[in-house]
Amino acid sequence: MKRRTTIALLLLALATPAAAQQWGGRPWQQLSPEEQQRAWENYQRYQQLPQQRQRMIERRYQQFQAMPPQEQQRLRQNYEAYRGFNPGQRREFTEKYRRWKSGR
Amino acid sequence: MRCGRAQEWMAAALDGELSPRRRRALDRHLTTCDVCRADFADTDRVLRSVAALPMEATVPTALEQATMRRVRVAAAEEIERPTRWGWWPLPVAVAAMASVALIAVGLVGRSGNVDTMPTATAPRVAGPVATAVPPAPPKRVARAEGRTPAPVPNEPPPQLANAPDLFMELPILRNMEKLEHFEAIRTTTLDDEPATPGGEEPPSNG
Repeated sequence: MKRRTTIALLLLALATPAAAQQWGGRPWQQLSPEEQQRAWENYQRYQQLPQQRQRMIERRYQQFQAMPPQEQQRLRQNYEAYRGFNPGQRREFTEKYRRWKSGR
Repeated sequence: MRCGRAQEWMAAALDGELSPRRRRALDRHLTTCDVCRADFADTDRVLRSVAALPMEATVPTALEQATMRRVRVAAAEEIERPTRWGWWPLPVAVAAMASVALIAVGLVGRSGNVDTMPTATAPRVAGPVATAVPPAPPKRVARAEGRTPAPVPNEPPPQLANAPDLFMELPILRNMEKLEHFEAIRTTTLDDEPATPGGEEPPSNG
């Protein structure tokens, strides 16, 4: 009985890290308060997305995690550049994206 | 095609991120499957309605300060004279003003599709609050700064606790294809075809 309890407790203790390991990345406690706040706000947005879209984002996260750090950094830099676009530049980029996409 | 696969491809199709071949396969499935067709239409409707929400508006400093001042005054009066108005008028007034503020904040939270990222940008506040704009110098307020953000719960939801980085990177994940091929897209040349119909942007833009 004692052994069973020990095993159960051990499994319970391992459950959370295992789940975190599945997704990779840092544990919640290692995020700064600002990062926790940002993650929390984005989590709320994520919850509002349709389920297929949530699944798509999860798949993309796994792809992103598998990328080399330089590639991840490149994407972050590109995102910053994209954020810096004014509405006109953003529209133009969207149009170019569609054109580029259709030509692939 | 199985319905499960069709479901997986729907969001990408609506974002215009599905390859032409897959899109044709999806379209063929949709012509034969009533359930998926309805699902696709629903998703399309939801994404369009989200995309149609107002993106930003200006909130003048005066309006912001006046509202907060009135809330504080009403709250202070309530503390000083709890029985003067009976049990309901002041709390109702406070609640009403707080509700207006919360609705404005809520709309701000819902309106944007630029997820929270660490860097500073042109601040924004959403929508319908702009209808009550008095003539005062407008201040553009960051969505994340112009309101009190919802506090992080002491115990985060399991999904958030298990993969906080997923949510940290959400803006990038939502625009991943664009960001992966950023240079190629940016250097794509446009001919004289008309721009995006109605000037709308697809819902995945961040």
